[in-house]
Formats: sequence, structure tokens, C-alpha cells
Amino acid sequence: MGDCQGLGDCADERIGRIYEYLDGALSRDDLKEIKAHLDGCTDCAHEYDLECVIRSVVKRSCKEAAPETLKAAILARLHEGRPAEV
Amino acid sequence: MLALTVDSSVMNISEPEQAVDTAAEPVGGAQRENFDVATVDVAAESVEARRARFERDAMQYVDQLYSAAMRMARNPSDAEDLVQEAYTKAFSAFHQYKPGTNLKAWLYRILTNTYINLYRKRQREPLQSNADSIEDWQLARAESHTSQGLRSAEAEALDHLPDSDVKSALQAIPEEFRLAVYFADVEGFAYKEISEIMNTPIGTVMSRLHRGRKLLRDMLADYAVERGYAKGAAPELKETEN
Repeated sequence: MGDCQGLGDCADERIGRIYEYLDGALSRDDLKEIKAHLDGCTDCAHEYDLECVIRSVVKRSCKEAAPETLKAAILARLHEGRPAEV
Repeated sequence: MLALTVDSSVMNISEPEQAVDTAAEPVGGAQRENFDVATVDVAAESVEARRARFERDAMQYVDQLYSAAMRMARNPSDAEDLVQEAYTKAFSAFHQYKPGTNLKAWLYRILTNTYINLYRKRQREPLQSNADSIEDWQLARAESHTSQGLRSAEAEALDHLPDSDVKSALQAIPEEFRLAVYFADVEGFAYKEISEIMNTPIGTVMSRLHRGRKLLRDMLADYAVERGYAKGAAPELKETEN
């Protein structure tokens, strides 16, 4: 991430800020600050972009359709009328 | 290895507090089930009415719970058993679910409990990769900050990894990190929701996410190198610590 100090003193802290930014976990002021920073800092914008790609790839890869047989089996058990143990 | 414990006696998940500010578009986890909230009298509801309400409200999440179960149980057969069991438990506890609160998070908590109780102690089996995943998933919720033209070689390489590599990379990171990352990055649950699903403090969720994401990034970089996608780019990928 180069020598950027804009989001924190170490790379670990900076990537943490980027995670929080993407997670929607920052206050409005922090949000403005990081947005402004990302506009001007190529290194951090690069990290941000990479994290966006990773999340997109993970979402894409993990999307699975449940088998129709499973859906049918769940419904069938719901209608069996026997109370399940919790 | 951290113990992943969820108290199965506490099935009710409170409505997540609104995040201070949302940096990005809220995704799945933030959506509310706000239909019929005022009209459902859970105590007076007949079994038939409850069953109908459960079918209408809960069955829409089967695909999502199955996808999550695949990250837990690792093979389709166990994942199906897990989801079936979770739905059975969820229905029998549905009178405890408070209408208007986050149903998806409530179901995820039950799924996680079920997994821990039924499957976690099982002998680990080799990952079976599933090549038939759906590819049309939308892009990350936040707009990419740099244009496609400026996208780095690393980002480009990771974007082209096959789904099987991404799943293998996820499976390779420790379970409590993997699940936290899955709940946040795939399902879009807020920290507080994840802390309720996994029954861990928010600080623990955040540290698991931080660690898990870094591990995942390193694993993905390794796969990219193996695939020959990222010549010379991978070392930079790993440079997340000074």
C-alpha cells in the first residue's frame, strides 16, 4: 500500500478502515474522510478496489440453488404435523 | 482454535440497531420483514395460520441457507440435512420469533446452532467442489472506486478465478473466520447481526472478519499464482502488513 499515512499508521489499520467503509460501519464524518482520501490516494484506492473484487468473487462463487427435492422435503415435513424437537 | 458456541436456548434475535451511517447500499441482511407486523397475534395464532405464515415468510430463504450450509457442512448431502433440520427447528420455534424483526438473521442463527450441534464434531471430509454455481451474481454493493481500465492486475486475476478455487480458499480458512466472512461479505449482515448469529461480542466479530479477510486474500492470491493469472503481482497482494 505504499507509504500512505492517510487512513492509519500501518497497513493493517488502513485495510481495517477500508473494511469498515465497505461494511457500512463508519460514522458520517469518517465516511466523508475516507471517501475524500480514496479520491486522492492511488494506493488506498487500489486496496479498496481489490477488496470490492474479492467480495464480488466470493458472492458469485458461493451462490448455490437448493435442490428442489430439498424444498419439497422441507415442506413435506412441515405438513407432517409432528412437532419437531428443539 | 476459538470455540464457536451459540446458545440455542435464545432463539430471538432483536431488531438490529440502525448502523450509524451506511457507507454502501444496504444488502440482504438489512432488509426488514415489515408485512403484517401489526396484525400477527402470535399467541392466538392457529397452527395452520402459523404454518402458512412460516411458508410465506421463511421458505424464500432456502437457497441462501443452503448456500451457507454448503460452507459449513462441505458436501451437498450434509448441507441438505442441515437445512432440513434448521427449518424443522425454526418452524417449531416460530412462535418465539418476533414478527417485524430480522427473520433471515433469526434463521441463520438457528442454522448456525444446528450446524454446531449436529455436524461440527464430524470428521472433516475433503471438499467437494461444485462447478454448477450460478454466475449472474451482481457486483459488490459499493461501486468500484477505480474504473475498469485502471483495475490492477491483481484485481483482474482474482476476478477470473474459478468458483471452485474461491470455495476452496474459503474452506481453507478457520471455521469461525470463514463463517464471519461469509455472513458479512456474502449475506451483508451487519456486525451486530453477526454477533447475534454467532453469539460472540461485536469486537470478536470484527477481529474475525479482519483476520479472515486477510487470510482469504492471501489464499486467493496463491490460487491466482497457481493459475498463472498474476505473474509478479501476488507478492504485492500479500503486502498487507508492514
